[in-house]
Amino acid sequence: MNCRKAEKRLLMSLDGRLEGGAAVLLAKHLEACPACRKAEADYRSMLALLRDGRDAEPIPRFWERLGPRLKEETEIVPLLFWERWSLRAIPVFLALVVMIGGFLFLTPQAGEMSQSATLLLENRDPLSETQALFEADKPETRTMMLMFASLDEKTTLRRPTP
Amino acid sequence: MEEKQLVRLAQEGSPEAFEELVRKYQPKVFSMALSFTRNREAADDLAQEVFLKAYLALPRFHGKSEFGTWLYRISVNHIKDYLRKKGRAKEVSLEDVREISFSDKEQTEKAERDREIESRRTLVQKFVGSLPDKYRIILTLRDIQGLPYEEISRILKLSPGTVDSRLHRARRMLRVKLAPYFAAEGGTYELS
Repeated sequence: MNCRKAEKRLLMSLDGRLEGGAAVLLAKHLEACPACRKAEADYRSMLALLRDGRDAEPIPRFWERLGPRLKEETEIVPLLFWERWSLRAIPVFLALVVMIGGFLFLTPQAGEMSQSATLLLENRDPLSETQALFEADKPETRTMMLMFASLDEKTTLRRPTP
Repeated sequence: MEEKQLVRLAQEGSPEAFEELVRKYQPKVFSMALSFTRNREAADDLAQEVFLKAYLALPRFHGKSEFGTWLYRISVNHIKDYLRKKGRAKEVSLEDVREISFSDKEQTEKAERDREIESRRTLVQKFVGSLPDKYRIILTLRDIQGLPYEEISRILKLSPGTVDSRLHRARRMLRVKLAPYFAAEGGTYELS
């Protein structure tokens, strides 16, 4: 066993994790190696000093001081909870505003609509009205009306078939 | 009452159940905080903050690990944050050590011995404080707190092999730092 391996096993042994043949080999190495015996003494001292501070006496009346703080915190918590969620809700709210605004902006307004669309929106019956007008007029007037109606719909003007 | 039952009651809002859990774990949390801060008041403040955090996080504890392990994890993370904010401890020079060890020769023999042990303890703690965080934490959990390897592995979410090798390295580093002192004084403080 070399000193490097012995040091590893020595620490395992000080932790109570070395048994059987490995422990015997370590004991033999320590017997023969003064440097490792020194290392063992150093580690023992070091671990003892470390473990010495384990059972420190806490400051008394811990719960009596903690209790009111807990109470105070639980009173604050619902507010914090609301704040946290309202912060997360801001981007969602902004996205909704943009969507609704966009929808309203893109929807055509009454001023921009064709005559038929306006009549439809106003809940009238454009077809029956047109039909009535159509039947009341002379054939020349009907042709003119058809032409104007086509212009209104922004379609290409076609010559009426005889 | 069983711990799981206490935790369930505390989650349902029973202050008495939480108080019992605090009384059970407070010495361990305080001792852990003290071993990192070396200051009783600071350790007490940290322990209070750890329990406050744990209380607020109780609804998120699903019992996947033991309550103690979960609480230790909160403690370690909180202490890490505290240390990060506070800044790293400075290296301790050998001159500081000798000043601590050999001052006040007029003390009686027993008082001198006590003082020497105390100064050595302070010295070791100072050297622990100067180790990099990952070694310092593992050394504190194992050699000061005395937690088993398996629990340390769960608290730090590290494999048992990593815990083993990191602890070995931490002890070697500490011994190297203490070597000049041990050479001058002789390592005579026996392991109890």
